[in-house]
Amino acid sequence: MNIEIEEISKDFGTTAALHPVSLSIPSGTLVALLGPSGSGKTTLLRILGGLEFPTAGRVLFDGADATNLSVQDRRAGFVFQSYALFRHMTVFDNIAYGLRARPRKSRPQTAEIARRVTKLLELIKLPDIGARYPSQLSGGQRQRVALARALAIEPRMMLLDEPFGALDAKVRRELRQGLRDIHDTTGLTSIFVTHDQEEAMELADLVVVMSMGRIEQVGKPEDIRARPKTEFVREFISA
Amino acid sequence: MTDTLTISSRPRAFRPATTEPTMVKWALIAFCLAVLTVLLFAPLFAVFDEALRRGWAFAVASLSEPDAQAAIRLTLLVAAITVPLNAVFGIAAAWAITKFDWRGKAWVITLIDLPFSVSPVVAGLLFVLMFGANSALGAWLVANGFPVVFAVPGIVLATLFITFPFVARELIPVMLEQGRAEEEAALTLGASGWRTFLTVTLPNIRWALLYGVLLCNARAMGEFGAVAVVSGKIRGQTTTMPLMIEMFYNEYLSVAAFTMAGLLALLAFVTLTLKTALEWRYADQLAATYRH
Amino acid sequence: MTVRSFTLRSPTPMPGWGLSFGIMLTMLSVVVLIPMTVLLWRGFVGFGAGGIWDVVNRPRVWSALELSFRAALIASLFNLVFGVILAWVLVRYRFPGKRLIDAAVDLPFALPTAVAGIALTAIYAPNGVFGSVIQDTFGVRVAYTELGIWIALIFVGLPFVVRTVQPVIEEIDRETEEASATLGASRLRTLTHVVLPMLAPAALTGFALALARSVGEYGSVIFIAGNLPNVTEIAPLLIVIRLEEFDYDGAVAIAIAMLTISFALLLAINLIQIWSRRRMGAV
Repeated sequence: MNIEIEEISKDFGTTAALHPVSLSIPSGTLVALLGPSGSGKTTLLRILGGLEFPTAGRVLFDGADATNLSVQDRRAGFVFQSYALFRHMTVFDNIAYGLRARPRKSRPQTAEIARRVTKLLELIKLPDIGARYPSQLSGGQRQRVALARALAIEPRMMLLDEPFGALDAKVRRELRQGLRDIHDTTGLTSIFVTHDQEEAMELADLVVVMSMGRIEQVGKPEDIRARPKTEFVREFISA
Repeated sequence: MTDTLTISSRPRAFRPATTEPTMVKWALIAFCLAVLTVLLFAPLFAVFDEALRRGWAFAVASLSEPDAQAAIRLTLLVAAITVPLNAVFGIAAAWAITKFDWRGKAWVITLIDLPFSVSPVVAGLLFVLMFGANSALGAWLVANGFPVVFAVPGIVLATLFITFPFVARELIPVMLEQGRAEEEAALTLGASGWRTFLTVTLPNIRWALLYGVLLCNARAMGEFGAVAVVSGKIRGQTTTMPLMIEMFYNEYLSVAAFTMAGLLALLAFVTLTLKTALEWRYADQLAATYRH
Repeated sequence: MTVRSFTLRSPTPMPGWGLSFGIMLTMLSVVVLIPMTVLLWRGFVGFGAGGIWDVVNRPRVWSALELSFRAALIASLFNLVFGVILAWVLVRYRFPGKRLIDAAVDLPFALPTAVAGIALTAIYAPNGVFGSVIQDTFGVRVAYTELGIWIALIFVGLPFVVRTVQPVIEEIDRETEEASATLGASRLRTLTHVVLPMLAPAALTGFALALARSVGEYGSVIFIAGNLPNVTEIAPLLIVIRLEEFDYDGAVAIAIAMLTISFALLLAINLIQIWSRRRMGAV
């Protein structure tokens, strides 16, 4: 699915989190929103996911206006920075949550749900942890469960907020490749937020550098590295 | 000429820098136990001692008197109405306060807390002023066969006022700490608002809710001052258990008064036991700081 | 373009705003807001500040108010000191029965005030277990005197300071105390100059809560007080008496006087607290 962002802005009270920004994301791209904290990247991601309403502007999914589409109807696979796993449910129930929440007509049979959860557990390479609770998992395992839970609803796109933020350096490296593999398998348009330029450059097809609520530069990693458009981008990617 | 450093340079009774001398420690413990005995344990013992002064049979018989039975029924009825209402209010207020950003939140929290610093007698007075026979509203209600003051609705309102903050004050800090991410996750997965509340929020706050309900119930069943003002103390009709205690006591029916008191003291025991059990077992899911 | 809406609340997809806010506001209005407004309206608009003063400025009312606030202050001061000591003992020391004691501290919250009232009276009355001993040794009566009111109010306010101070003691970094010791301070000096100032804001909060509770306390006091006009008659009791005489204006005036004095006291405590917090923050 391609995503079109048209002149989106967002005010929190009197402060502007996003000045009007526009961005076009082709279908199947893995995009990194890169910038320091307070640059507006998480706000933009939450607007795409339907968790925040823009003050002005439009969002188009495959050419259709989705600005006022409810969060439930967006079918965006959202991975939260804290993962937001339901702590009182097993891993299995976490992943099955979205399927069970569907209206009766489109809800899969119990056996079908079990089959899909098992498949997702295999996809994230953790086939044996279905009966465990989130508190019994390592940070890296939690991140992958959050990924599987988001994938379970057959999302139209993946939105990931600092997906590696809470992990130590070694696990980070392993999971980067994991995310790339899952993206390549599913072919979903995926957008992730990061403040780590190395992570963005290594993983993404398209990097969007943001600062103070504005988009500084959009481009392929090698282009941004070779030709930084502004002083800010030059400083930030060399950090 | 070199000093020999002996291993026995450690003082005889080494005391870490962050502790007090043993004597002081035990003196303080003894002092605390003495004060608690004189103020808490002795009165509690006295309740049962006085109740059983003339034996079990006599005490039990005093409870089977019709007025005593009516008082017990009324207290249960008032609690059965106020506690659920309070829980609904507490959940609604905590949801509105912790899941949304809006202006005037601090004022609303202050208002919710207000009943804690109002005398129970003043609480009763509030409802006498609003619904008493001398007010226009009260006179109209009485004329239409729905008296509030000196009747059960007044007792319910006064009890609601007194217990108003209990559930909300327990839930708000817990829900603030848990944040909004889990609810947001449920929404992105397609869950409706009710489904999100029932399957994600409620399981996360259930122990805190139970804790608040427990304290609310103890207060609702034991409230005296506010209820005394609005009830009119009609025997067998608007007399709750605490008011019955006062009546028996003033009529020098000591055993009956203390037996009724013993019943409420047992309720306090149950409340404290459950509360302590919750605190030990689910400390992480209750409000971090203590609230009454 | 989405239409910019001007509301009290920032827009969000979180569901249930109307329902939760509606329930909250309705119940808050019916139970607290409207009744309180009626009381204040009746007092200040009905017969004005002057009228209230006329009621309050009579010996019986004045002495009742004085008694309520004096006894509440004395009881809360006792609870302030005892509460800090008890909290310290419960957090720092290990002794048999500690968990039981810790749980029992909340008894005054759980035990109905009428029960506490008759129980305290039973043991502190001249023929009671403690009452008779005290009278024989010191020649003082406890029940049916102001001393009895103090006892009842100490009972009622006991848990507040303990429960606000306990979590603060648990979080004290022991290195601060060790630093004080390495600098040559005695244990007593460390406690008074280092530990106590750290506990002060929480202790004050507990003190204010205990004070607010005991000023208005009725149930546990009336049994033990004796209720002699001008001597052991507390302000809440006087409100009840006025109501029984159908003197609603009198009751309203005393209620407003109590609320005003309580509010002024709590405000003063709040200011002291802000001041002490600022000092702590500056360290």
